[in-house]
Formats: sequence, structure tokens, C-alpha cells
Amino acid sequence: MNAAGMNILVLRLGFYVAVAAPFVAVALAEHAFLVQVAIGIAVSAILALAWDILSRTGQVSLGHAAFFGMGGYGSALLTPVLGPVLGWIAGLLLCGAVAVLLGAVTLRLRRLYFTIATLSFSLSIQVFILVTPDLTGGSTGIMPPVLAGGSPPHQLLFITGCLVAAAAVSDVFLGSRFRPAFFMIRNNPHLAAASGVPVTRLKILAFAVSGMVAGLAGACYAGLYGYVIPDDVFTTNWNVLPLAVTILGGMDTTLGPVVGAVALRLLEEVARHFVGGVGYQVVYGAVIILFIVGMPAGLVGFARGLLRRRKATERPDGAKARLAS
Amino acid sequence: MTTAAVLQAVILSLTVAALYAAVAAGLTLTVGVTRIINFAHGEFVMLGAFLTYGLHTRWGVSPWLGMAASGVALGLLSALVYRLFLARVLKQDEHNQLLATLGLSILLLNIAVILWSPDPRVMQAPALLPPLRLGPVTVPGNNVAVALVGLLLFLAMLWIKNHTRYGTQMRFASDDPELALHAGINVDRVFELSFVIGGAAAGVSGGLVALVLYVQPSVGVDLVIRAFAIIALGGLGNIPGALMGAAILALVEGLVSTFVPQGGSWGFGVAFLLLLLVLIVRPSGLFGKQVQA
Repeated sequence: MNAAGMNILVLRLGFYVAVAAPFVAVALAEHAFLVQVAIGIAVSAILALAWDILSRTGQVSLGHAAFFGMGGYGSALLTPVLGPVLGWIAGLLLCGAVAVLLGAVTLRLRRLYFTIATLSFSLSIQVFILVTPDLTGGSTGIMPPVLAGGSPPHQLLFITGCLVAAAAVSDVFLGSRFRPAFFMIRNNPHLAAASGVPVTRLKILAFAVSGMVAGLAGACYAGLYGYVIPDDVFTTNWNVLPLAVTILGGMDTTLGPVVGAVALRLLEEVARHFVGGVGYQVVYGAVIILFIVGMPAGLVGFARGLLRRRKATERPDGAKARLAS
Repeated sequence: MTTAAVLQAVILSLTVAALYAAVAAGLTLTVGVTRIINFAHGEFVMLGAFLTYGLHTRWGVSPWLGMAASGVALGLLSALVYRLFLARVLKQDEHNQLLATLGLSILLLNIAVILWSPDPRVMQAPALLPPLRLGPVTVPGNNVAVALVGLLLFLAMLWIKNHTRYGTQMRFASDDPELALHAGINVDRVFELSFVIGGAAAGVSGGLVALVLYVQPSVGVDLVIRAFAIIALGGLGNIPGALMGAAILALVEGLVSTFVPQGGSWGFGVAFLLLLLVLIVRPSGLFGKQVQA
């Protein structure tokens, strides 16, 4: 590996450490409330990263609750059979396999139809759980093994590890190997295909990876309390949350969903303070509207724009200084 | 199970189909013209239901009048939403348009939850029409009213699109906005108008909802999801297709929830499996033109 490659690797690792540090600090401080908040943020961020990976190929999903729920159910049902490590891996592979199937049948759908199909899919999966009580416990739900012996700080450390893993996956798809192809598919699939981009394969690949990462978020969530009911993991909330998080933080970035998850949680707490437990999701709607109209690049995109502008104004002075010395 | 029971289920499903068709016709008119997929259409219906319910419960206003008032109010709200918000999003890419109307839907839904709580209510109004006896089957008067008004709304959408000057402009503007602009059509105005008409239809449909369904904030989401299923079945922008789609969806849903044990909980899901299957076989809907994706 050459020096530039090393530099990039070091920068990346530094970035992951910076993302993980606040979560680890909260876990070590063992502040009960903050630990719960941090766990919620980390789970939302993983789910949002999953949604964003798919959205980079122009596929707007309103059905990620399906993969979120399947991850929870998969890990819960397979862990007693295969043990925790293999059980989780098998659960995620299941999500990936289902995502490949869904990706293959929705491949030709235009944008609106794609979104409706994903929404229908998530509703259908919920129905599937309800009508197969022998396999999945039906509406009464199931009791998966609790993560990390039920100790919230340890759970947080584990989920932070999962978040870093999801961020690394997201970065792979923002790297030079995939990034141009993904955005080309989003902007003009015909041109992409004509330029030799394997459109079908990449769209399905994005779907499989997105499904698995969403499943990871669901598996983490299901392991928190050792109790999962379909009305909890398959609600529209989990379909909509990743959109709000990603749009707030910034689409097409890895940092965006993490920043967005923190910011949305803050807004949520403020809203809960004013309107109580029901209806606080009004902030999701407000955030999506305001950011799509006023700041489509999200918080991270906006900050990057500011930085770029500052650099552009500083550069002439820097050059002059170098000349003078 | 007797033939009368089957007949009863089929006829009640068909009255529901008229309501679905009314909601879907308004939506497909707007989508067909502006190409904006208005997820908030369902919330417009929900607001219409609350308005009709509120007018009746508070001031004893007849639901007939309530329906008309809801139509006017939601038409005005649509104009406001279009000017303040959608006109700006129209210039952004499709990805963002989808996200923007989703945001609007979530916003309106939760405002309703905050104002009126998520609890379901029933409008205690005397039936608008006498019950209809068809052989062994009795159709409640409110279902008759829903079927009639729903069909009228549906026909009105069809008439506006095919037989008025505005309809011609709408079809022209949706086929080729640039060419329409050169031909002297105020495309922005036409888009706004289609939005207002769709919104007014949603308001009246809301009045129908108050007659036969629970009035609650989540009713709009339930209906708009079905409306999307219907317009996907019928083909985007295809108003007659929406009627067929509504009938298919309502029948499947009604029969499953009546004759399958515990079917009430999954009539919905079955309808969606159906939709998914249709979309797989014909990506542009059962009655839609085949367009390259």
C-alpha cells in the first residue's frame, strides 16, 4: 500500500474512533438515561445508514421496517437453534436473501411504484407474522435472548460496534469503486447501462446490503429487552424514521445518518416536552419538509459547503504566504 | 355459508369500493397531471372527515352540508400547500418530491394526533338515506349514500379530465409541459388547479369516511395506501382504471375479512400481496400503458 493509501486508511480509522467515542464515553459513564438515549440513537443511525445505501441507487424505500423486523425475528428464532454468533449471521443472511428477491421483482418498477411496492411488502411481512403463530408467535410476539446479559452499558458498547461496522460498509459504497456507478444509476439508469455499468447487479447488491444492515439494526433492537411484538418492530415509524434521520443529517454520506440520528433525537425530546408522548413525530414531518425545501443536502452537506467556501477564500492568502517565505 | 351472506359481503364491499374509487380518482388526477405523488392526499381525506364530524357534533350541521364544506375547505388548503410548498419542490428531482410530500403527510397526521388525540370516534348521525332492500340483502342507508356520492365524485373527475377546457389543458400540460408552455398554457396554473380539484375530492371523500368508518387521525394513511394500491392496479393517471382497481381491492379485502377466520386483521395484507403480484407481472399496472422504466 502506498503512502496516500495509508493516509486515507488512518483518516478513516480516526473517523470511526471519533464516531464511536461519544457512545463509548456514555457507556463508561453508566448514566442510565443517557445510555438508553445513546442506544436509541445508535439503532436509528444503523437503520438510516441502511436506507441511505439503497437510496444512493435512486431506490426510495418505504419498507425498511420489514428488514428491521425480520432482523429482530430472525436473530430471535435462529439463536436458540444455532447459537448467538451463527444465529445472528443466519438472521442477517436471511434478510439479505429476502432483499435480493424483493430487489429482483421490483427492479423494473419506476420510482413511485417501487416505493409503493416496498411499503406493501412491509405490510405483507407483518401479516405473515400474524398468520403464522406456530412459527413466529403471531401477535403475542416472541422472546429473543437478551443482549449482553441485559446490562445496558454493555449493550451500548456492542451496538456501537455494530454502528461502526455499518459505517464501514457505507464507506465501501461511497468509495471510488461504487460511488460513481451508484449515482449514475440514480440520475440516469439508461446512460449508466449504456456506459457499461452493471445496473441490475448493482441495484440488487445495494438492496441486499441495505437489507442486511437494516436487519442488524433490528437484531440489536430486539435484543434490548428480550421481547418483540409485531406491532412494535413493523410499525410505520420504522419505515419513516430512516428517511427523517437521513434527510436531516445529509443523504449520500456516512456521517449524515449519525448526525441526523442525534439531531432528530434532540428534536424529538423537545417535541415530547411540548406535546407529550403522542404526536411528537410531528418533528419528523417538519424536519423532512424544511430540509427538502431549504437545505436538501442536510446538516452535513451544509457544513461541508461552509468549509469549502472558507477554504476557497483562504487559499489565495496561503499561496501568497508561501511565496513570501 | 349461505348465498345471502356472500351477496351481503359482495354488496357491502362494492359500496366501500365507491369510497376507495373516490379517494383514488382525486389522487390519480393530480398524480397524472403533475407527476407529483402526493402522499398527503390521505391526510386531506382525514381532515375532511374530522371537519364533517366536527361540524355535525358541535353545531348539528347535516353531513351533506359538511361534505360540501370539507370539499371547499380542502380545495383551499390544497391551493395554499401548492403555492407555499409544492411549487418549489416541483423543480427539484423526483427523489426529493417523493420525500417532501411524505414529510407533509407525517406532519399533518401528527398535528391531528396532537389536536384531537389518536382515539377513534363514531359520528352519531341519523342515516342520510333509507336502507335499500335487494332481495335477501339489506344495505344500510349510509352505505347507499357513500356508494352514490363516491360514484358521482369519480364521474366528476372523469368528466373534468375528458370534457372540459381545463381537462384538455391538464392532459396537454402533463404530456409535454414545455410544449404546453409554448402553446400559451399557464402550466403552473393548470398544475395548481389539478391539485385543488384533487384536494376538493379528498375533502368530500373525507365526509364519506365520517359516514361509514371510524374518524381518527390514522384513517388517511390507511386510505392513501389503498389508493396507491388502486392507482397502481389501474395504471398511473388512468381514472377508469382506478374504478376497476378499487372494485378488485375492496372485493378481495371484504371477502377475506368476512370468510377467513380472523381475516379482519389480514384482508389488508392479502390485498397487498395481490398488488405486488400485479406489479411484478405488469410494472405499469393492470390497465396502464406499458412504459419503459
